[in-house]
Amino acid sequence: MTLSGWESVFFWIFSIAAILAGLLTVMARNAVHSALFLISSLVSVAALFILLGAEFIAGVQILVYVGGVMVLFLFVIMLVNVGAEEEGRSAIFNRPPQVTAAMVFLGLLALVLVLYVIPEGAKTLKNPEKQQQAAIAREAREQNLQTGATGVSRITKETERVGISLYTYASLPFEIASLLLLVAIIGSVMLARTLKQEIAADDVDPEVTEHDDPKMSVSAPSE
Amino acid sequence: MNHLSPLFALLFQEVSHGRAATALEGVKHPDLSKFLVIAAILFVIGVAGVLTRRNIIVIFMSIELILNAANLNFIAFSRYLQDSGGGNPLAGQVFTVFIIVVAAAEAAIGLGIVIALYRNRETIWIDEIDLMKW
Repeated sequence: MTLSGWESVFFWIFSIAAILAGLLTVMARNAVHSALFLISSLVSVAALFILLGAEFIAGVQILVYVGGVMVLFLFVIMLVNVGAEEEGRSAIFNRPPQVTAAMVFLGLLALVLVLYVIPEGAKTLKNPEKQQQAAIAREAREQNLQTGATGVSRITKETERVGISLYTYASLPFEIASLLLLVAIIGSVMLARTLKQEIAADDVDPEVTEHDDPKMSVSAPSE
Repeated sequence: MNHLSPLFALLFQEVSHGRAATALEGVKHPDLSKFLVIAAILFVIGVAGVLTRRNIIVIFMSIELILNAANLNFIAFSRYLQDSGGGNPLAGQVFTVFIIVVAAAEAAIGLGIVIALYRNRETIWIDEIDLMKW
């Protein structure tokens, strides 16, 4: 599997953008800036997904992560409104144990990458025939696809194949995921509501509220 | 000087067909290993964020970065299997869908906990949230 031509140019652009935006996510002082940098990192990774031929996953990434999860994050940041962040970059990285742990992790990963992954990649680069065969096979597969309405591009079958795979190969995990989302909905509603709302819903023991602090002095509904 | 010429030949060969040429070829034709390297860098950035930041919301965002690095690995291997043939090449993409689902559920629950915590303790700095620390 290799990219070539413009694909590799875009690969480098988007991977560098993803890494820079990721670094700025971790280093930004303001949480809102962090969230915006994380959005750009996620969009860059979605572009990498498109380069890898996973258009459906790229769309899901943009819709769910950027459109859903990050908006939720921004809502919560603005709800808790803590304002200015830590004293600055020095305070973030002036924590020797944590930074050391991160560096040790980086070292271990770099060791594996340098000793094994990159040499393996170089090995595949050294026999170009196999790559060319794969590229030709890919090209032939794409030639068989139907052209789009404009006649310029071809309609890929990728999404269809992912859908078939999702409903046959992974149908039980799919159902479990729906259950997980249900639990998440109920859990977040339960967690986020106030005591007042709990009393209004009439599912809390009235005695619990009687000896509370005056801040929550809501008279319990009498039986 | 004459006896050094095999050494020069070796060096020249090393430069023209050796590591430098391979590295340039790797830049021109990024393969699976480059994607793994990018994903590993994103993962480490996320781990550093989780370990060093005090703001619990930024820690959640770093966790999203980690999960996204894992997604990138899955998609890269999915494409690799499509080209080399073997296994179910779409398993990686299906798994990525589930990771995104779990990340969304985790974000919803986690941010609900943050809201409840802020309502009760009026803080989101993790070094002030130490009720269970002894």
